[in-house]
Amino acid sequence: MIDMKDRKTLLVLLITACWIIITLSGWFGYWFFGLCLSVVLMLLHMMMGAAQNGKLSKKMLLYPLGSWTVLWLAGFYIAEYYSQAFMGVMPSFTILGFHPSFGAIVIAYWIGGMLTLTAGLILYASEWLSEDSWDAFKAKIEALNQEHPNV
Amino acid sequence: MTNTARYSILFFSVGMIVISFIIGWAAKKKAINPQSFFGGTALFGPVTVGLSTVSAVASAFAVVGVPGLIYGTGNTMNLWMLSSCAFAMAYIAIGKKIRAMAEIYPIASLGDISDIRFDRHRGIKALLSVILFLGAIAYLASQISASSTLFAHLLGLNPYVAGFIIFGILTVYTALSGEVGGILTQAFQGLVMIVAGLIMVFSFLIMTGGFANVVQVVSTAGEVAATVEGQELAKAFSPKMMDAWGVLPGSIAMTWMFIPILGTMGQPQVLTRIYALKDPRDMPKLAAYAGLGHFVIGLFALTMGYGALYLVGNGLVAPLANNDTAIFAVADYVGGFSQMFVYAAILAASMSTASMFLTLSSNIISRDLPSAFGVNLTADNQIKISRITTFVIGICAIFFALASGEAVAILGTFGWGTLMSATFPVFILGLTWKGASSQGVFSGLAVALSLNIVSLILNNRGFRWPGGLPWYVNVITAAIVVTVVVSLFTKGSSDENLDPRVDAVIDL
Repeated sequence: MIDMKDRKTLLVLLITACWIIITLSGWFGYWFFGLCLSVVLMLLHMMMGAAQNGKLSKKMLLYPLGSWTVLWLAGFYIAEYYSQAFMGVMPSFTILGFHPSFGAIVIAYWIGGMLTLTAGLILYASEWLSEDSWDAFKAKIEALNQEHPNV
Repeated sequence: MTNTARYSILFFSVGMIVISFIIGWAAKKKAINPQSFFGGTALFGPVTVGLSTVSAVASAFAVVGVPGLIYGTGNTMNLWMLSSCAFAMAYIAIGKKIRAMAEIYPIASLGDISDIRFDRHRGIKALLSVILFLGAIAYLASQISASSTLFAHLLGLNPYVAGFIIFGILTVYTALSGEVGGILTQAFQGLVMIVAGLIMVFSFLIMTGGFANVVQVVSTAGEVAATVEGQELAKAFSPKMMDAWGVLPGSIAMTWMFIPILGTMGQPQVLTRIYALKDPRDMPKLAAYAGLGHFVIGLFALTMGYGALYLVGNGLVAPLANNDTAIFAVADYVGGFSQMFVYAAILAASMSTASMFLTLSSNIISRDLPSAFGVNLTADNQIKISRITTFVIGICAIFFALASGEAVAILGTFGWGTLMSATFPVFILGLTWKGASSQGVFSGLAVALSLNIVSLILNNRGFRWPGGLPWYVNVITAAIVVTVVVSLFTKGSSDENLDPRVDAVIDL
């Protein structure tokens, strides 16, 4: 488990920095760098939300979050590689019938991204929100409501 | 179009409107208190919520505008449309926090969550309500305008007659059943979109023989020209249209990748459905159902855009005078019952999005804004006033959408990015970071509202942001930066000043 309680402000500062750099990347033509940095931005948001009781599960960080990050960055790299390789000409092969550049997007970004995050959330649901955590949360709220009845 | 096709569309459309009305009417008995009427709070399982979420996210633009953009500029728009993983990401990032807020207070609206998180800060609630209302009215008017004009043209009706038949009935059932009926009818409409989408994807594969043939045609067609009714029409094709980024500038490709994905977690259509889920432990299943539904609709839009490129590139259909007719060109060429399914999908998409934004806007006017200004009503009065407000907003929106075409187009600037600029400071930062202070979030919202309005004016005067970056990226970034920087130096409703219940939600 990674303790997130004292790191959340740092993560928020990183998120803010990512938004600024992505915007500037768009302004000054470094859009592919901005595109890759936005993957890091999404990872940071998921790390903030995935922490349970102030702790982020290493399992969850590795899969699905880490695996998804690698998959998307690899997908974008391949997409850009084949975009440059077949610039202005018909591609000599296709992936699932698509231009190889777009095929990488279909496999990694669309299908791979959805399967990785969705399957990861289902498989590691208890690392994200366990039965015990939810029950403990409800009990805590009940106790707090009795202690301070006015919300 | 043949008369048989026209009557089929009419029959199917009337059937869908009648079924939606029956569902809405039946649901009104469930709308017994503000939580169920305004939020459908903790009432539904993951299948219903998943279908409702997807249909409310996929507006008529997804079915008509997206294929048009793919026909015009290639794959750039597909980056937006293939964002099916966004639901799982949104639930991982914010899902359990939003749903947990419904355990500490009888949540009925996004304004309620803002109230609890920021100790009933009236300024935050008022600014949040105004920005959400602007986005909601923009969405509502554009759905009414597009759908009424389309069906009026198709069936030879006056647009006002078409508008009042479709959206008048929608207004009545939404006013009666509130968000409970909204969620149930949207689930039905989502199912219609998915079935129609699957049929059209299958038709596309039979028509083209597969995606590789589209790539070949687009890469080799060069320029295709034709004269239609005395008008010279041309379409330029290039291999670049088929690569990952399409022919639009790279900054647009970048934006259309990350804004829809991150933006999903900031859309009211997604946030409000999270607290409609009965058991938060069903959220992983919800991610799967919503992701799969979105996957089919994304594939539907992609194949319709590709289908139009294939037909025009092969000379089977003349170049389109208006890119937004791409989906109709495919449906007309395929013939048979495909037109019926395409129109059913468009009607379902526009009705589901319109009902979602109609309830959102009427909740803001009848409940959140008055409470932001200190006017608190009893539960019964809230529902009564909201029913009247829904009816008035629905009727006014139909008149406004059909009478003020230019104003609707200008207001159409507001949308996805506008909603994100309001929800990111309040919910995405506010519910994951204890350091988000009321002063910081209020300042972020003030900047968001000001810059949205300034951008609306600049955008309509033809102003271009550096690098061609869409304006809303700048606005969202500014709102987040201001929220975080001001929060670092202020303490209202943050850290040790947090309500212990909210503290528990953020820790969950």
